[in-house]
Amino acid sequence: MNARNMARVTLIFATALLLLPLVYQVGLSFKSPTEFFGNPLSPFPLQPTLEHYQGVLNRLPMGLYLLNSLLFSGAVTLGQIGLAIPAAYAFSHRQFYGQNLLFSLIVLSMMIPFVITYIPNYLTIASWNLLGTLPGMILPFLGSGYSVFLLRQHFRAFPSSILEAAVVDGASSSQVLWRVLVPANMAAIVSLGIYLFIQSWNQLIWPMLIASSPRVYTLTVGVQRFAGGEGGNDWGALMAASVLTNLPTIVLFLLVRKGLLATFTDGAVKG
Amino acid sequence: MPVFIPLALFVFYPLFRTVFISFFEWNLVNPKREFIGFDNYLEIIKTPDFVTMLLQSLYYMGLALIGNFLLPIGLALLTLQVSSREAEVYQTLLFIPAVIAVSIGTLIWLWFYLPAGGLFNAILGALQLPRPAWLNDPSLALPAVSLVANWKFLGFNYLIALAGLRAIPKEFLEAARVDGASGWNLIYFIILPLFAPSAIFLLVSTLLQSLEQVFVPIEVLTVGGPAGATDNLMYTVYNEGFKFFRAGRAAALSVLLIAAFAALIFWQFRLLEKRVSYER
Repeated sequence: MNARNMARVTLIFATALLLLPLVYQVGLSFKSPTEFFGNPLSPFPLQPTLEHYQGVLNRLPMGLYLLNSLLFSGAVTLGQIGLAIPAAYAFSHRQFYGQNLLFSLIVLSMMIPFVITYIPNYLTIASWNLLGTLPGMILPFLGSGYSVFLLRQHFRAFPSSILEAAVVDGASSSQVLWRVLVPANMAAIVSLGIYLFIQSWNQLIWPMLIASSPRVYTLTVGVQRFAGGEGGNDWGALMAASVLTNLPTIVLFLLVRKGLLATFTDGAVKG
Repeated sequence: MPVFIPLALFVFYPLFRTVFISFFEWNLVNPKREFIGFDNYLEIIKTPDFVTMLLQSLYYMGLALIGNFLLPIGLALLTLQVSSREAEVYQTLLFIPAVIAVSIGTLIWLWFYLPAGGLFNAILGALQLPRPAWLNDPSLALPAVSLVANWKFLGFNYLIALAGLRAIPKEFLEAARVDGASGWNLIYFIILPLFAPSAIFLLVSTLLQSLEQVFVPIEVLTVGGPAGATDNLMYTVYNEGFKFFRAGRAAALSVLLIAAFAALIFWQFRLLEKRVSYER
């Protein structure tokens, strides 16, 4: 076997191993209880059943959780991008007093572990009477150093001369930003947006701390509460709920995978 | 630049408030709190579990180094052997665990690890091998929890590693090949030295993120148990604050965590600086 085929076999094996847990997750969600206990080794059910999906949809308000997840992830994504775009423009194509200091703060904010902010942020949200609400969940995520940093990397690659030419032609700086720079970098912005959406969709700890009632549970929180309570031993139902929660992010990723993967690798390599 | 409003309110202000809270004894709810100076820090250092918890944090970091640093780099090196079209398929598939929710992904592993009725012990039973208690076994629980995080986050680092390797100018590789370098020689003398800056970045980000990445798996699989065997520095901050309501102690632990992180980041810059001056 030559080097290329050895590499190929190893990569295929590693990929299969990595996807196996998800194969089991999907398989168990279609397995009847008899098969679940009688034939635990095979991920594939011999007689697939939809009973777990029906059960989950009857027992949990999945529609409400879905709506909350959409609102939470949508607001975090739009807010972060909306705030990051002007900042990324200022850091890439403008000079101003204190620029280096402020940019250091952006980089610093990326290095602060999330858990450190939880107690003070919980107190802030509590003092604003926003515990148990979606705004309480959303607000702490609106500022993101990472989004500013990544967009700056992409904006910087855009030639300054074109922007200067637009200014000479009488464009204001906000026109330069929204009519030239943003459209030119739309692919990167959309990819970042999709990544942020997926990340927020997958958040658990902070939404769980804030969501005091099922009314504001997101999908991850709802499924986690279900797993910790009545669904604890109902593996079929738990896996059906898992598949329903994962499906939107996996589909979204597969739809835009090329642009998404390129946005990160460019951001990492351009430096 | 309005982005600094939320950053100031929810990132920088909490940083200062944490330092402030760390000098008080306070249960988060009671309006009264007592100033106790450095007592929180002294108590933490005096607890016999503190050293164990630090060692466990290092253990998690070490496992992340294998699973989320060495392994993805190895896979990325192998990927250089295949066509870029084929590589795209591996990139996409290996990235899928990275786009699902950690908490949801961890649930299937909860079933894998069940002592009775779980997949792993069903396999071991069919092979007539001894069946461990996995998450209830103090020596197995930590690697078992870590494995879930390593599984979930491998794809991202693989992507970064592959991009770093591909950024190496082709002329260097061709020149080396013309001079007769091949296989391990090519990897060892040409690829790895040129890849070092990306590798240092990947190494430090792996170490920084390792404790955060096992956070949700710990919460879902063991809640830090059995008897604290899967606890780490980051999970303990959350536990002290939101489960034991010892805000002062949680804050003091946070300050120690920040100090450790700052040291790690400082070390990264030193390493990178050294390299740059060496190249010149």
